[in-house]
Amino acid sequence: MNRSKDLDIVAPDDLTVEALAKSVPIVSPTQTDIKSPLSDSTKKTPEIKTSPENDINQKVYDILGHTKSPFSSFLVRPKVISFPERNQDEEIYLALRPHWIINLHWIIISIFMLFVPLFFHYFSFLNFFPTQYRFSAVLFWYLFTFIFSFEKFLDWYFDVFLVTNQRVVDINFNNLLNKHFAEASLDVIQDVSSSVKGILGTFFNYGDVLIQTAAEINQINFEKVPNPEKIIKLLKELRDLSEGDSHV
Amino acid sequence: MFDLNNLNINNYFFGITKIFFVILAILYLAFSLIVVKQVTAMSKSVIDKFNSILIIFSYIHLIFSAILVISMLAL
Repeated sequence: MNRSKDLDIVAPDDLTVEALAKSVPIVSPTQTDIKSPLSDSTKKTPEIKTSPENDINQKVYDILGHTKSPFSSFLVRPKVISFPERNQDEEIYLALRPHWIINLHWIIISIFMLFVPLFFHYFSFLNFFPTQYRFSAVLFWYLFTFIFSFEKFLDWYFDVFLVTNQRVVDINFNNLLNKHFAEASLDVIQDVSSSVKGILGTFFNYGDVLIQTAAEINQINFEKVPNPEKIIKLLKELRDLSEGDSHV
Repeated sequence: MFDLNNLNINNYFFGITKIFFVILAILYLAFSLIVVKQVTAMSKSVIDKFNSILIIFSYIHLIFSAILVISMLAL
């Protein structure tokens, strides 16, 4: 299995598995019961059983795959993201942002805005102003262009959805000044559904994931997130595991 | 008799324009301060490795906003 080489996104279990792979073969609990003709030759090597935690981590990788870039909208077991409300034993399985393609409209507008001052000399009435005034106006225009794109970027960058081993979390900023934080435990998740809309949604495979819960906040909506089907699969898996734990 | 020739309309026009620009630049500087505060607050809510870069960008923007105010005052 190809694992990420970026140390920032390599999970601790990756390092453990890689280190063990160099020394001894890993034998899963199911494999230990099967006797093969080669078993005599490997008899003397110590057998290492995978822990349930590693099994869950492997399941997460199997469902979601691996993240290639820390700038991705779909970060699997990220080590670069955290949040203040996080518990000490809480592990983030998946961090999501809206799909990057939804940024395209403001990127195009920003590029257009960059070239607007070049057209100023076509408007002869502006030549009436002294050079200093025109310089200040151009400086103001570029600052405005920068802050327009910067605010749009912040709006996207800090719109984060998290799936941890305990809950799902939605953090975003309304009007960039009001923080919105919503969470729901995995064991109160009742229903998960997704909807992929439009040509771009279908083409780039992004959509909304609606999580209905039995908690006070009865709906959490992950908007325009990539790979909604994988998220649903993961949430169902984690909910089943969580329910299994609660029954024991 | 009121002499129109002594009244320099250009000076009045540019004077009013300058006051307008300076007010606009000061308001923009205040907005830049809010942006710095906002980015810092956001960075505390979602802790990420790249937050420091965003904070640096917001401070650079603040510096340029201050330059804008100075350039408007120097008009």
